[in-house]
Amino acid sequence: MVATSRPTVHPLSTLVTRLETGGALLPETPDNLLEVVGVLKSYGIVLDAYWQNLTYIANHQFLVLFPVFKYFNGEVTLPKLLRHLGHDRINYEFAEYCMKSMFWHGGGGLDTYLDSPEFLTRARAAIQAKLQPNLPMRGINRLFPDFLPEQVRVMAYYSALGQFWRVMSHMFLELSDLYDQGKIRAIADVVALIQQRLVDAASLPVTYAVTIHGQGYDIIPEAAGLTFLADTAVPYIEAVFLRSFPFFGTVSYNAQAHQISAHQKDFNYGALFADPLPIGGAGIPPTLLMQDMSHFIPDYLHAFYMNSSRGEDDLRVKICVSFQKSMFCVTTAAILGTLPHPLDTAELPQQQANRAYIESWVDRLAESRLLSVQS
Amino acid sequence: MLSVLIWVPLVGVVLIGCLPQAVSASRIRQIALILTTAVLVWTGILISQFDASLSGLQFQEALPWVDTLGLSYQLGMDGLALPLVGMSSLLIWLSIYSSDANVTRPRLYYCLMLILAAGVAGAFLAQNLLLFFLFYEVELVPLYLIIAIWGGARRGYAAMKFLIYTAVSGILILAAFFGLALLSGTFSFDYDVVKQQTLPLGTQMVLLVVLLIGFGIKIPIVPLHTWLPDTHVEAPTPISVLLAGVLLKLGTYGLLRFGLGLFPEAWQVLAPVLAVLAVVNVLYGSFVAIAQTDMKKIVAYSSVGHMGYILLAIAVASPLSIAGAIAQMVSHGLISGLLFFLVGVVYAKTGTRDVTVLRGLLNPERGLPLIGTLMVAAAMASAGIPGMVGFVAEFIIYRSSILAFPVPTLLCMIGTALTAVYFLNLINRVFFGRLSDPLSNLPAIYWKDRIPSIVILALVITLGLQPNWMLRWSERTSLALGSLATEHSTTSLAPLMRDGLIEIFRTPSVMPAHLSPHLPTL
Repeated sequence: MVATSRPTVHPLSTLVTRLETGGALLPETPDNLLEVVGVLKSYGIVLDAYWQNLTYIANHQFLVLFPVFKYFNGEVTLPKLLRHLGHDRINYEFAEYCMKSMFWHGGGGLDTYLDSPEFLTRARAAIQAKLQPNLPMRGINRLFPDFLPEQVRVMAYYSALGQFWRVMSHMFLELSDLYDQGKIRAIADVVALIQQRLVDAASLPVTYAVTIHGQGYDIIPEAAGLTFLADTAVPYIEAVFLRSFPFFGTVSYNAQAHQISAHQKDFNYGALFADPLPIGGAGIPPTLLMQDMSHFIPDYLHAFYMNSSRGEDDLRVKICVSFQKSMFCVTTAAILGTLPHPLDTAELPQQQANRAYIESWVDRLAESRLLSVQS
Repeated sequence: MLSVLIWVPLVGVVLIGCLPQAVSASRIRQIALILTTAVLVWTGILISQFDASLSGLQFQEALPWVDTLGLSYQLGMDGLALPLVGMSSLLIWLSIYSSDANVTRPRLYYCLMLILAAGVAGAFLAQNLLLFFLFYEVELVPLYLIIAIWGGARRGYAAMKFLIYTAVSGILILAAFFGLALLSGTFSFDYDVVKQQTLPLGTQMVLLVVLLIGFGIKIPIVPLHTWLPDTHVEAPTPISVLLAGVLLKLGTYGLLRFGLGLFPEAWQVLAPVLAVLAVVNVLYGSFVAIAQTDMKKIVAYSSVGHMGYILLAIAVASPLSIAGAIAQMVSHGLISGLLFFLVGVVYAKTGTRDVTVLRGLLNPERGLPLIGTLMVAAAMASAGIPGMVGFVAEFIIYRSSILAFPVPTLLCMIGTALTAVYFLNLINRVFFGRLSDPLSNLPAIYWKDRIPSIVILALVITLGLQPNWMLRWSERTSLALGSLATEHSTTSLAPLMRDGLIEIFRTPSVMPAHLSPHLPTL
């Protein structure tokens, strides 16, 4: 345990102290543990479908300007089409919204790399190869030379998010397995596992290559030095958990009244801020994800939900609340994993630096659903 | 045949009264439901047997009772009573269906509900003035007790106020009936007998004014209305439904049956006053509804306003307007019943009816989305949106009154617009916006909560799209009652239509002759 010279005087001192002592943003209760692990199991299953589709689009829908069947993962059959039209399917749109949010907010080495001359050279090579037999597109490319490279950047984000979620998906399913084996008994165990797996995967390279007419084209080579934690995980948390965008909901109308900041860095429409009640507030529509997860809720969590007064009626709202709780665990892992100094440091200046870092995070999350999940 | 509607509930009272104490509330409720289902089915059979081409009484029953008092057990059903009996049978069934399954003192509660059902049916069917009075008074007792025992926080005050007002109403009605029997020289309370008597206009006026005040309390006519909002606010939901849906109609029914039916000459003189009272009702009720913050009070004052339309129609007293008045009685009975059911569900789930507290109840997962949707539909019906029964009734009334009483009619039309104002205001405050945090953990809502409203809304829409299914029963009675007024009219009236209500819709000749050329043909 860390002993600082003076207790924090932060307005949310309980949370700051809890983090300083190795705890989580989410209180340690048996119900919270059940909800977090249960919902992360269903999230892991859904993420598994999401990353496979993102990877499929990045690899097989490269520069396909009208990707009508992009959600079919290459399997276009009549039964699948009917299920798709009947909305009996995974909402892959949610994954794309997250990708677009990352693309829009940028950040990390990936964003920097995609603006580099090296990327442009590699992208143009792939574009030339792809357009070789397509005279009209070549003409369009000449007229609008920035258009197709931008599409390649989007494809790079598809791939990067797919790689990020592949790791996360496996992590959440592993967490669920460990819980089922009785090895996860507290929220602290959840945070510790996530933190450990993030550290383990931190230096995994993020790469992207496509095959065109039998020849491979590296869009993001390993030599670009992009890694899992710094270049996908951190930008993802920033873009999806925190910022997102003020669209898709009633908040967007407030733009006309200048109630939305002109600076993207000030946005707070992300998953941790989302209103669980489906009123169309702002940000990526959480109901899409909740609908997907509702198909894979483990029995023990379903039974827990059924004990509430509304039963099945507000299942998605309850999943959303549980999901936000789980994401506060992931955020805790991210905060603790990126502390400037070890949590158990004995050096007072390092403790103060850690405290300042933690307080800055708590300040940023003060307007989120953080306080709502404390009770 | 008609006695079944009265005696089955009363047999039920005896049956439930004899049940052992150990019998559960839900079982008693089931027995009450079975009995009222039987009444409802029997009502359906009566409707199917009713000959709509006749204007007179059908299924008549007559038994001597207390001859020295002129009291006899005489029942009959015509096109005026039939829709009201049908509607009251349905609303009583729905009220018992929606009653709390765990109500305290269930035997007393359901016995009182069944006595109320018998009293209402008897009042609509009685063809003897004293018998009508008896049934009219009988429904007072169970209502008083239900409000006093199962009502809200101020139930004692509300029940007592209701008792005093309704008792005064009964005394005035009884006084008018006695006056009629005595002054006509027949000493008979037989409706058909006293109807044949002719009294001097002055005597008619006195008796009619007494009747008007008596029934005016029940309707209620402003300023005799103050008991109604208090009673509604404190009454349990099923009683509010019956109060607005059925019991207020006893007032307008009484005015039509006994006011217009027995004093047609004096009616012609009082008609302009009635039209002015109608306007006061409509505008006062609407404006006061706008100012309310309690959902039940909004609906209660809405009721005061909408009863004004019936008053306007019976003031005109033409065949078309009588048809409109009957249609509005049915329409208001269904729509106000629907509104009170919905407000009852909101109150039961949220614990408040305060529109300044409620918010966002249309939320699809944590709110009351279907109840909110039904409330929007009910508000549309109440505001007279085409395709619903409210439009049909109000359209017929305005169609019949615009030339007879143009200014009052136009002012009443403003009242229709005001209906949209207070209901949209209510809906906007209660159902739109974000569900407030204290309301985000509402208890589950079950189909039992929704079914009464769904059934009534289905009827409201069905009769709105097929108004003839409602109007055809009262067509001949409307013609007869309207003819009664025009025959005694001091003004020159055009020959009345004899070819049915559908033709009335098409031609202007039901209106006074000097006005009829200006009436547009539909």
